Amino acid sequence: MDSFFDRYRNLLVLLALLLAQIIGLAMQVRRTSEGRSLVDAGDGPGVRLIRLWAEGLVSPPERFIHSLKLGSGNIWQNYIDLRDVRQQNADLKKTVDRLRLEQAALLEDARQGQRLQALVGFEEKYIYKTVAAQAIGSSGSEQSHVFYIDKGSADGLDRDMAVITPDGIVGKVRDVFPHTAQVLAINDQSSGAGVILETTRVRGILRGNSSGQPQIVDILADNRIQKGEVVLTAGGDQIFPRGLPVGVVDKVIQDPERDSFIEVLITPAAHLDRLDEVLVITSTQPRFNQQQQQDVAASEALKGAEAAQIKEQQKASQIMAERLPGLIDPSLPADQQPLHDTSNPNPVAHPPQALHPDRFSPGADAAAGSGSSASGTPDAPDATTAAEPDSTVKPQQQKTGGKPAQAIHPQNAKPKTAQPKPKSPGRNP
Amino acid sequence: MPLLGADLRRDLEIRRYPILVYGLVPLAALVLQAWLPRVLGQFAWFDLPLVVTVYFALCRRSPIQGTLTGAAMGLFEDALTQHPIGVNGIAKTIAGFLAASVGVRIDVENHTIRLMLIFLLSLMSSGLVVFVSRFMLGLDYQWRWYTALFAALGNSLIALVLFPMLDRLQIRD
Repeated sequence: MDSFFDRYRNLLVLLALLLAQIIGLAMQVRRTSEGRSLVDAGDGPGVRLIRLWAEGLVSPPERFIHSLKLGSGNIWQNYIDLRDVRQQNADLKKTVDRLRLEQAALLEDARQGQRLQALVGFEEKYIYKTVAAQAIGSSGSEQSHVFYIDKGSADGLDRDMAVITPDGIVGKVRDVFPHTAQVLAINDQSSGAGVILETTRVRGILRGNSSGQPQIVDILADNRIQKGEVVLTAGGDQIFPRGLPVGVVDKVIQDPERDSFIEVLITPAAHLDRLDEVLVITSTQPRFNQQQQQDVAASEALKGAEAAQIKEQQKASQIMAERLPGLIDPSLPADQQPLHDTSNPNPVAHPPQALHPDRFSPGADAAAGSGSSASGTPDAPDATTAAEPDSTVKPQQQKTGGKPAQAIHPQNAKPKTAQPKPKSPGRNP
Repeated sequence: MPLLGADLRRDLEIRRYPILVYGLVPLAALVLQAWLPRVLGQFAWFDLPLVVTVYFALCRRSPIQGTLTGAAMGLFEDALTQHPIGVNGIAKTIAGFLAASVGVRIDVENHTIRLMLIFLLSLMSSGLVVFVSRFMLGLDYQWRWYTALFAALGNSLIALVLFPMLDRLQIRD
């Protein structure tokens, strides 16, 4: 027996181990009613114990290796693998410098593009014909506020053309060359522009002072002028169109040479110290777009219709004036003028007849001898008043085209019918 | 293949190692087998516990020790997975037994023999795993033949490097 175990010891151990593991596997796997084999989701106590041992045996070294890997990675990345870092740093610095220059150039291009876009937008909306130009140089002197633009006579520029920006006026073209032009800014002491204050409507001349700030001179002291008031071009200088923004009032000071005059310092609306793109007004003839042209045409058409209507009205008025009575008829004597017309429905009221007339009673001198008027009643008009309408018949019939006066004033029909017929030839056969 | 008498070779060429080597090398194999796939992903085509099992089985020339070593390594390997414990245990138990049994009869100093042996045992181990999983247990075990082939090649390459290194750790008289 001993020899059997000794002889097959190795094989028996192998079989024992295999059998034990097969039994263990059989305990872990169960067969379902459909014939499928499933591993139990929950391990048995023995299996779980083996897994705990394995996990407890392997996990600490794994954590150690993991931390070692992290540490070695950090050491490698932060200390060892830095051989070319210095060169890379130098290269990166060069790259950063180059990119900064490119960024600055791109930024400047972008800003210029925005300014040009705004300028083009303003030029399209502006009613006058303009030429866009760029400021390319200056005089180089603080006392000379002139600058040069890149457009000249070849581009249609001429002397004394207004130079503006969308913000406000800048100056005028002082000298023109074939491809450049010299612009005199409004803050130069030799410049001049007619301006008007928007609120107070005070007019003056704008020119620069010694410090390069534009100011309005030659205006009488006026305490209505306050700081912040808007200044516009007046349009009387034949250079700047009327109504362009010039700036706002900055300060009002006394004219040092003349007591009754003041000087109004202006903060220019245009950035005169940072000019890049400007517009030169080459023509002050209004330049309308299609919509504006349609509006103008419609306005002209409406204006023509109104003028014809007004003419018709004037013609009708003349006709009516010829037919209506005039105030003075040169062909009639003074006592028969239309002003003596007694056909007035509201005749002048006469005072009542006195019961005991005396020498102070009205008409006492005339009625003293006869006494006929004293006996008359107010309802009975005397011959003078009764005869008065006769003198008005003729002109009235003439002015009204022969129509009887009583037809117009029926309340006067009785007195007029009692009177002699008018002298109108049209009415008397 | 040079063949010698089993008793003679076992008596003459049993290698001995420090006790720490018996503990740390299998532990390192288990740890690296669990950790390296996280780094290599699906390219972890090797089985370090099998390599270590075969090495000690060949060097110790004891089928019982080889069997026990293989069983222990396989069981621990199974314990680290969600699979039933014993699948790899059976495969590596048989592999350890065979390696030790063959090692008694062949010259294990020859690297070519070592590589051929580890290659064949790797294929056999993979086949045993498939056999136990699919036929004994009836589990739905997905298996790709080229994966087993790559694993066998990987084990051979590792053995080509690892075996000489471990040879240096043996106790020489």
